[in-house]
Amino acid sequence: MKLAYYPGCTLHGTAREYDASTKAVSKTAGIELTEIEDWNCCGALEAIFDKELSMGLSARNNMLAQKTGLDLVIPCSICSHNLSRADKAMKTDEVFRGKIEKALGNKYKNNGFKIKHLLDVMVNDVGIDSLSQKFKKSLKGIKAVPYYGCLLVRPSEVSKFDNPENPQSLDNLIKATGAECLPFTQKTKCCGGNLLMSKQDYAFILTKKLFDEAKAAGANCMVVACPMCHMLLDGQQSMVEKAHNTVINMPVLYFTQLIGLAMGLGDKELELDKNMVSPKQLLESIGKETKEEKKVEKPETKAGAEPEKEVAK
Amino acid sequence: MIKTSELDPNFKYEIANEPGGENIKRCFNCTGCTVGCPVTEIDKGYNPRKILRKALLGMRNEVLTDESLWLCASCYLCYERCPQDVKITEVMGAIRAIAQREAKAGKIKLANPKPLFDNLFIDSVKSNGKWYEAGVSGMFMLKTKGIGGVIGYAPMGMELFRKGKLSILPHKIKGTDQIKRIFEEVEK
Ligand code: SF4
Ligand code: SF4
Repeated sequence: MKLAYYPGCTLHGTAREYDASTKAVSKTAGIELTEIEDWNCCGALEAIFDKELSMGLSARNNMLAQKTGLDLVIPCSICSHNLSRADKAMKTDEVFRGKIEKALGNKYKNNGFKIKHLLDVMVNDVGIDSLSQKFKKSLKGIKAVPYYGCLLVRPSEVSKFDNPENPQSLDNLIKATGAECLPFTQKTKCCGGNLLMSKQDYAFILTKKLFDEAKAAGANCMVVACPMCHMLLDGQQSMVEKAHNTVINMPVLYFTQLIGLAMGLGDKELELDKNMVSPKQLLESIGKETKEEKKVEKPETKAGAEPEKEVAK
Repeated sequence: MIKTSELDPNFKYEIANEPGGENIKRCFNCTGCTVGCPVTEIDKGYNPRKILRKALLGMRNEVLTDESLWLCASCYLCYERCPQDVKITEVMGAIRAIAQREAKAGKIKLANPKPLFDNLFIDSVKSNGKWYEAGVSGMFMLKTKGIGGVIGYAPMGMELFRKGKLSILPHKIKGTDQIKRIFEEVEK
């Protein structure tokens, strides 16, 4: 499979481990990525409401991708939303298309050109079955909650590949690696990312709520598919801990890092040392489930005798 | 209290003319957007339905200067669920755009720092084609929290730099002239 690749600004900066693991995993999955030449910022969440500007900036990238003759894959949920929304407008809104074609001196192709999120490509185009064939190692011991966040699945008129209320693609992918996928009612709740600059204390309350539930579910890690979610959950985790005077210490992996581990790819290749919250302990827990469970479970049943009571009733 | 003499009956058209604001008049006040809004869950004072209702009534000044406008986390939950396809998240964005223009013209004052960040971000994209993280974040900290804010942020910045996640200088794309033309064309 050959695809054009739009990394977006964060994957060349704070989310470099997402870029590295995307490339490594794609290679193993048999996807050849061609990074589009001279791409620009899509305007991210900062220009998203300057709608024409955001769509204009995004449309330039789409036109560059169209030059390759390939469909376009995007790992960032925000970029993916912006470029897809622009694609739709360029195909349906003549006045807008006229403006942008004039600015760029180029015609927008209205053919079968598709823009997809990387998760969609992995789960639906490569497919979980063929991905599983590349898995060399079971990730038993990892107890993950899948976190989809907002723009990966919403609005469904732009992102169509999964159920907006109860998406399953990450769940299924996690299960395929042999890791445990725990039920997570907060899977599409907002992490507060876009409040970071406007109201940081609210952003941190929203982030903390996610971790509280992840912990209550018994998770030892969170799996994400967006650099913005990751920036909050991983990058700002220490700040959330400080603001709430608590310890969270939960590694947050990109789904590409997770499947990379199952593929037997190296820590360096997946840049697991670049995550702000170290996944070292988590990596050590892989394959050691039985020992750990023996250690942990006894005191837990003593402390929280609830389940036993329920049985007695 | 609502003073009818202060209402601006044209406000809803003004919003509907803004890209993203087109569907505001469809709202039939059902509260679907507010139920489940993650911000309402933590702040009962935040009510997206109310913002829309006030806007539809023409409470222009009150809506444009309401701090609530900047509390929407843009999570698109209400956008997804609204039975009238109002596209509230984008309507909120359209109202923000009007508020920013009014602030630029000196007619209102915006207390929330978010528009400042957005503008620094957009300016950096305008000149480089990509966003310049170190520069924008540094300038934002300096403008909102003073030199103390920059120093406070330094350890995090250093850690990012050490991990090769932050570059000191901006990256410029080749097609910056095209970017400029996009800005010119959409600002017309
Ligand atoms: S859900 Fe839609 S129709 Fe209902 S109050 Fe909110 S904006 Fe109006
Ligand atoms: S988009 Fe804004 S108003 Fe709508 S549910 Fe999310 S935070 Fe609330």
